[in-house]
Amino acid sequence: MKNDMLGVIFSENPEASMGELTSLRSLAAVPVGGRYRIIDFMLSNMVNSGILKVGITTPVNYQSLMDHLGTGKDWDMDRKDDGLYILPPKDTGESDVEAVGGIERLAGISSFLDKSQQEYVLVTDCNTICNIDFDKVLESHLENEADFTLVCTKVKNLTPKEARKHILLNVDESDNVTDMHVYPGHQVTDLSYMHMFITRRESLMELVEYASTHGKHQISKDILLPAVLNDQVKVCAYEFNGYRKKIDSIQSFYKVNIDMLNKEVRDELFGLSVDNPIFTKIKDSVPTKYAKTAEVENSFIADGCKIEGTVRNSVLFRGVHVGKGAVIENSIIMQDAEVMENCLVENVIFDKGVILRSGKKLVGQDTYPLVIGKEIVV
Amino acid sequence: MRSKECVAMILAGGQGSRLGILTQNVAKPAVPFGGKYRIIDFPLSNCAHSGIDTVGVLTQYQPLELNTYIANGQPWDLDRTNGGVFVLPPYTSAEKGEWYKGTANAIYQNIGFMEQFNPKYVVILSGDHIYKMDYNKMLTAHKKANADATIAVIEVPWDEAPRFGIMNTDENMQIVEFEEKPENPKSNLASMGVYCFSWDVLKKYLMADEADPESENDFGKNIIPAMLGDGLKLMAHRFDGYWKDVGTIQSLWEANMELLDDKPGCDLDDDTWKIFSRNPIKPPQYVGATGSLKNSYTTEGCEIYGRVEHSILFEGVTICEGATVKDSIVLPGAVVNSGASVNKAIIGSDAVIGDGAEIGSTADDANSDYNNTKICSADITLIGPGIKIGNEKKVAVLSMVTDDIC
Repeated sequence: MKNDMLGVIFSENPEASMGELTSLRSLAAVPVGGRYRIIDFMLSNMVNSGILKVGITTPVNYQSLMDHLGTGKDWDMDRKDDGLYILPPKDTGESDVEAVGGIERLAGISSFLDKSQQEYVLVTDCNTICNIDFDKVLESHLENEADFTLVCTKVKNLTPKEARKHILLNVDESDNVTDMHVYPGHQVTDLSYMHMFITRRESLMELVEYASTHGKHQISKDILLPAVLNDQVKVCAYEFNGYRKKIDSIQSFYKVNIDMLNKEVRDELFGLSVDNPIFTKIKDSVPTKYAKTAEVENSFIADGCKIEGTVRNSVLFRGVHVGKGAVIENSIIMQDAEVMENCLVENVIFDKGVILRSGKKLVGQDTYPLVIGKEIVV
Repeated sequence: MRSKECVAMILAGGQGSRLGILTQNVAKPAVPFGGKYRIIDFPLSNCAHSGIDTVGVLTQYQPLELNTYIANGQPWDLDRTNGGVFVLPPYTSAEKGEWYKGTANAIYQNIGFMEQFNPKYVVILSGDHIYKMDYNKMLTAHKKANADATIAVIEVPWDEAPRFGIMNTDENMQIVEFEEKPENPKSNLASMGVYCFSWDVLKKYLMADEADPESENDFGKNIIPAMLGDGLKLMAHRFDGYWKDVGTIQSLWEANMELLDDKPGCDLDDDTWKIFSRNPIKPPQYVGATGSLKNSYTTEGCEIYGRVEHSILFEGVTICEGATVKDSIVLPGAVVNSGASVNKAIIGSDAVIGDGAEIGSTADDANSDYNNTKICSADITLIGPGIKIGNEKKVAVLSMVTDDIC
């Protein structure tokens, strides 16, 4: 059922470093899981949660994201009332705006926020891969009569280096957030904020207006933390402990894809048992053809592929061609790549349209996969 | 309403009774084909690629699933502000209400629909053939020849010609005679059931045909012979590509299997002429460590832990560990459990084959209660949609299973 909540997704995350994969596209548009882009998960979660209006901020490199989203029809978001809004940066006439954070992004879409009718707003990053029901988060927000609800998840055994990428929360027994540690030097609590929060749309606008006129940049430090520390403001936590993985590096990107080879992860992530599917752009690819010489094991394969060689422990996107005698292991091969006869590919990430000529060998490390950029011919 | 030069009408009301249990609850054009398609995707995609943006789909028999499938026509780019796709069931009027009595009557009853677009030409198609054809080429030929009607024909092997409607033509491809299923054919040019008419001419003949109580209201039997009898200019338009009528279980099986040929006659992997379909919202297919696929066609949402050879698996099919599937077509959502074997069979949507069961068995103790050689031939076994076959049950070859076997 529809609910009274607006969705806002940031298509970029300054903390993610994806190297070559985001040199030509926004983080949200990075292909993942055989036929998806990163944005599909968060956008589908919102659609499945009954959110009818979603705005996606697209500060840079948004051509491929716009191409992917189109009118939003594949998410049933091409609507007269509400629907999908792609929010490119506005030409404000001011140049050289220095380091921008979430607050500037939200300030930049103030008219979108202002014109929306929804009582509540959900603000999220795009790069956490999970299948979450935001309607339940809203329910808990209303039940707690909270001013803010932060979605968080259990974490354990963080190294100091990892801890510095987390925002850790202290939560009391009635789900109130009592303290917040932004990028601490070591693990101080076991609850990590997932960069998704709900609040009232109008109060968010006021806070953004105040913060942006006072030289503030970061939502976490400059809006959420003061709220947590203010006794007058009720900040609650909503714990989500399903499969979730943040894509913020080549390694985590690789891991998410390989995780999909696990049946439990697939069943949960693609909402197969609860009928909360992940939508994506329809390409009308033909079914995948396995030739007489095909040998495939433990692999996740999209439509439109033609497989004549061997594929093990890998993810193949739409329209990949694996030639005779070629062997692909532990690799992520994106759309329309071609691995010709007798090639050997191990621990590699191929961006879209890579061509590997006959007999070539490319081997990366299992801890550090080799990335081959878009449409490169090897 | 803006005028349209050409409107297409797809005859999709047939029961397709020779497909047995597969068409018990759905019309033939909605029968799944080729891993992720339905038969009607072919004429609809052909229309989209031929630049025909106004299409009427005439439904009558079990139309619900077909209606839902076509819906607003979005998968075929037929969700238009001007034109688009329209599902046209029979209806009642002030004077009378009746079912579609025949192909010509179905079009007759929708004269009002077509007139809204004030067309110059009307293309009549049937919803049960597998082929990729540019109707615009036929229309261009029709205009160039200044014909009253143009009929698409395909060369068939001479020994099969008696099964078809045969067009006898002169050296300019003008049709001089039409013979329905002739014993001794004079030509091997068979009608494909694809017609292009000048609308004013067709309208006149449809009205006359309706007024004739003796008529069977059929294009092949009545309209075409009447036009020929009056000396109208009917042209044959030769089509060279792949064309297959999938009206029987055997031809449906064959047409599917031909997709697995090294050089398939109907190449679906063609970016210039994609066959559009309503895509399932399913994750990619997963092949497990014990899974193996050879010479097969598989699509999204499948989970494969068993052995699959020379087969076509539709969306969301599960093949469990130790199961073997050979020379078969497994329709959406079906499950083949551990150790089961499926041999030269068509497994209906959402059917469940139990552990160790054997489909298409030649063993003496196999269950032959469902033997049905009227529907099944060429050693093909057919399991109906949603049917459950119990563990270790053997289903004899040439069965059409219509009830659960426990």
